[in-house]
Amino acid sequence: MAAEKWVYMVTAQTPTNIAVIKYWGKRDEVRILPVNDSISVTLDPDHLCTVTTVAVSPSFDRDRMWLNGKEISLSGSRYQNCLREIRGRAGDVEDKEKGVKIEKKDWEKLHLHIASHNNFPTAAGLASSAAGFACLGIVLCLSVSSWVFSLAKLMNVDEDASHLSAIARQGSGSACRSLFGGFVKWEMGSKEDGSDSVAVQLADEKHWNDLVIIIAVVSSRQKETSSTSGMRESVETSLLLQHRAKEVVPKRTLQMEEAIKNRDFASFTQLSCADSNQFHAVCLDTSPPIFYMNDTSHRIISLVEKWNRSEGTPQVAYTFDAGPNAVLIARNRKVAVQLLQGLLYYFPPKSETDMKSYVVGDNSILKEAGLDGANSVENLQPPPEIKDNIGSQDQKGEVSYFICTKPGRGPVVLPDQTQALLDPETGLPK
Amino acid sequence: MAAEKWVYMVTAQTPTNIAVIKYWGKRDEVRILPVNDSISVTLDPDHLCTVTTVAVSPSFDRDRMWLNGKEISLSGSRYQNCLREIRGRAGDVEDKEKGVKIDKKDWEKLHLHIASHNNFPTAAGLASSAAGFACLVFSLAKLMNVDEDASHLSAIARQGSGSACRSLFGGFVKWEMGSKDDGSDSIAVQLADEKHWNDLVIIIAVVSSRQKETSSTSGMRESVETSLLLQHRAKEVVPKRTLQMEEAIKNRDFASFTQLSCADSNQFHAVCLDTSPPIFYMNDTSHRIISLVEKWNRSEGTPQVAYTFDAGPNAVLIARNRKVAVQLLQGLLYYFPPKSDTDMKSYVVGDNSILKEAGLDGANSVENLQPPPEIKDNIGSQDQKGEVSYFICTKPGRGPVVLPDQTQALLDPQTGLPK
Repeated sequence: MAAEKWVYMVTAQTPTNIAVIKYWGKRDEVRILPVNDSISVTLDPDHLCTVTTVAVSPSFDRDRMWLNGKEISLSGSRYQNCLREIRGRAGDVEDKEKGVKIEKKDWEKLHLHIASHNNFPTAAGLASSAAGFACLGIVLCLSVSSWVFSLAKLMNVDEDASHLSAIARQGSGSACRSLFGGFVKWEMGSKEDGSDSVAVQLADEKHWNDLVIIIAVVSSRQKETSSTSGMRESVETSLLLQHRAKEVVPKRTLQMEEAIKNRDFASFTQLSCADSNQFHAVCLDTSPPIFYMNDTSHRIISLVEKWNRSEGTPQVAYTFDAGPNAVLIARNRKVAVQLLQGLLYYFPPKSETDMKSYVVGDNSILKEAGLDGANSVENLQPPPEIKDNIGSQDQKGEVSYFICTKPGRGPVVLPDQTQALLDPETGLPK
Repeated sequence: MAAEKWVYMVTAQTPTNIAVIKYWGKRDEVRILPVNDSISVTLDPDHLCTVTTVAVSPSFDRDRMWLNGKEISLSGSRYQNCLREIRGRAGDVEDKEKGVKIDKKDWEKLHLHIASHNNFPTAAGLASSAAGFACLVFSLAKLMNVDEDASHLSAIARQGSGSACRSLFGGFVKWEMGSKDDGSDSIAVQLADEKHWNDLVIIIAVVSSRQKETSSTSGMRESVETSLLLQHRAKEVVPKRTLQMEEAIKNRDFASFTQLSCADSNQFHAVCLDTSPPIFYMNDTSHRIISLVEKWNRSEGTPQVAYTFDAGPNAVLIARNRKVAVQLLQGLLYYFPPKSDTDMKSYVVGDNSILKEAGLDGANSVENLQPPPEIKDNIGSQDQKGEVSYFICTKPGRGPVVLPDQTQALLDPQTGLPK
C-alpha cells in the first residue's frame, strides 16, 4: 500500500446560520441533544462561509485536520463521533479518471486529511485569521457542517441532508442547521439515541427574497463565555430555563414556522426579538451570570425598537447570539438602506476609514445609501424618528464594521481545483 | 378660625431600603399589590435618608407639598390615597405648651403643609420615592396621633409607593404580598432589627449613566404584560427564595444570603430583558462590577460580597465584615479610580472613615494600589475613570424616628412655609 500515492479530494463550501428561535441548553451532552427546537436563517455563503477540502490517500498515516491554516487535534469526542458516524456510512467510490477505486470496506483502514477555512470579508484592522474570525462571535465549530458535508461527498455517503445533519449535530449543535439553505428548523427529537434530532428545511433561500441582513460587528473587550460551557451552566443553575424550554419555545416555534411560511414580517420580528431577548435573559439568570450583549448592543436594540414603534409596523428584526454582534434583518432593500444610514449616523467609522472596509459583504448598498463618497458620513442627518436618548453621534469605534448579506443557499461542492485547500499531490495544506 | 395662627409641626427622618428579594410586578395597580413577596435591608439614615416636616394650621388654605425645595402637586392618586388613609385614622392631639388642641373630627377640615428633603441626589437612582412616602406617612401619623403600629402604617405607605412600605422598619424587612383584594394584609413586617447582623458593611457604587431610565412603575407594568417568564418567577421561584432568605437572615448565613441576593437581582434583570420592549437597567460598568465580585467570591471559596442592583446601574455591594469591605473598596478603587484632582472624601462618602483603614486617605494613594491578586485581567484595564461617579459606604440601619430638634425642621414654625 505504501507505493500507492494517489490522493482523492473533494472541496465543498458551507454557509453559516443565525438562529431566530434559539438553541440554549442540552438534555444530552454527549449526543448533543437540545432541550428545545430551534429555527435559523442561513446566510449567503458569498459573504460568510467555510470552505473545506477533504482528502484520502493510502499514503496518509493518520487523520489530520487544519483549521484556518493551523493544525488542530482530532482527539476530542466531538470530532471522533462525527468521523465514526460518517465512516460507518461510507460507500463505494470510483473515479476512473484518477484511477481511484475505494470499496466500502476499505474506508476503515484509510486516513483522512481535512483542511477548513472560514471565509469572511476582510475589514479594517482585521486579518482573515482565526482570531479575526472569532471576533465575529460565530462559533468556529460551524465548520463541522462543512467537513461533514465534504466527507459525505468524498465517501459517497448515501444519506439525505437531514440524516447528515444528525451527524454534524454531534460535532456542534447549531452546525446541523447549516446543511440547508433558507430557513431551517432543528427538531429537538424525543429519542434517546438522537436519531430524530435532525435539521429540516422550512423554506429555501428564494422563498423570502426581499429580506436584507446587516450584521454589526461590535467591538468587545471581554473574552466571551463559550456557548458550550455557558449553556451547561444555564441548564444547571437557571430556574427560568426549563420553563422557557417547556412552555415558551414550543409555541413560539409553531408561530415562527407560520410567520416564515406566510412571509409575515411583523410576527417574524416580534418572535425573533422576543426570543433573542429571552435567551439573553436566561444567560443573565445563570450563576455566575453571563453577559453577551454590551452597551453598544443595547443602543442598537433601542434604535431598532424606537424605529419600529414610530413606523407603526416593524421594519427591522434583531437577534443576538453568544456575543455582542447585532444581526439585523430588514424587511426589504429600501428599509435596509435607511437602516444602514441610521446605523452609520450613530456608529460612524473612525476618521480616514475606507467605507468599503467599514461596510463589507454586499457593499453595493453603500451607493444606494449615498455613502460611497468621501465625507458622506458627516453629511448624514439624524433619523427623524429617533429621540436623542440613543446617545450622541460620537461613538466611534463601538462598531468594528458592518456586513451586508441576505438569506442564502446550502452546502455545495466546489469543482474548481484552484479552490482546494490541500495540495492534490501531497494532500497537505497549500 | 382665621384669627388662629398656631402652627403645629412634627419632623421625622426615614431611611431608604434596598431589596434583596425583588418586587417587580403588581397584581393591582390602584392599591399597589405585588405579584410576590419581597425582602429588603434598611440602610443607615445617617448616610441616606429623607427628612420630612409636616405642619397643620387653621391658617393653611390648602394642602401643599415641597420636595427638595420645589413645590409639587398633591393631586396624583398616590398622594391622595395616602392622605385620605392617614386622615381617616387621625386621633385627638393636645400640645399644652403650644396651646394646641385638635379633636379627631377637626382633621378633615384642616390643611397640611409638607416639606421633604432627600440627603442624596434623585439623579443617583437611589429610590428616593420609597423613603419619601415612608417619611410622609410616618410624620403624618405622628402629627395626627394615629394609633397604628408600623405594619399598619406600612399598608398606607404602600399605596404611595410599593417599596416605601419596607422603610417603616429598620434592619431586615419583608413585604408580605398578602392575598386579600383590599390589600389589608399586604404589609411590611420586620424580620430582624439593625443590630441583628452587625458585621455587614454596604458599599454603593453610583454608576454614571447616559441613559434616561425606564421608570419602575411603567417598567414593571410592561413586564407583567409582556414577559413570559415573570409569572413563573412570581409563582414558582420567589416563594421558595423568600423562605430561604428568611432563614439565611435569621442564621446570619452569609453564603446563602449572597447566593440568594445575587440570583434574585439577576433574575429581576432577566425579566426586564424578557420584556417588550426590553429594559436594560444594568450597563457595562454594572457588569464589570459583577464580574469582579463573582471572581473574587469564587477564588475565596466562600462568598465575601453579595451584590444587588435595582432599576438602574448602581451596584449595592454587601460585604460580610469590615475587613472584607476594606479589601472590596481597594479593589473597586483600583478598577474605578477617580478622575485626577478628585478629593477622595468626595469620591467615597457616607462612612468615609473606611478610607483611612484602606490606606486611601493620602494624596496619590490610588495610584499606589495593587491589582487584587485573584482577579484576572478579564475585568479590563485600570483606566476606566469616570465610570463610577462616587461610592457611598454605609450599613444596615434603623427605622423612622421623630427628630425633636427644631433646627432640623424644614418649615418655619411661624409661617409653616419652607425655611
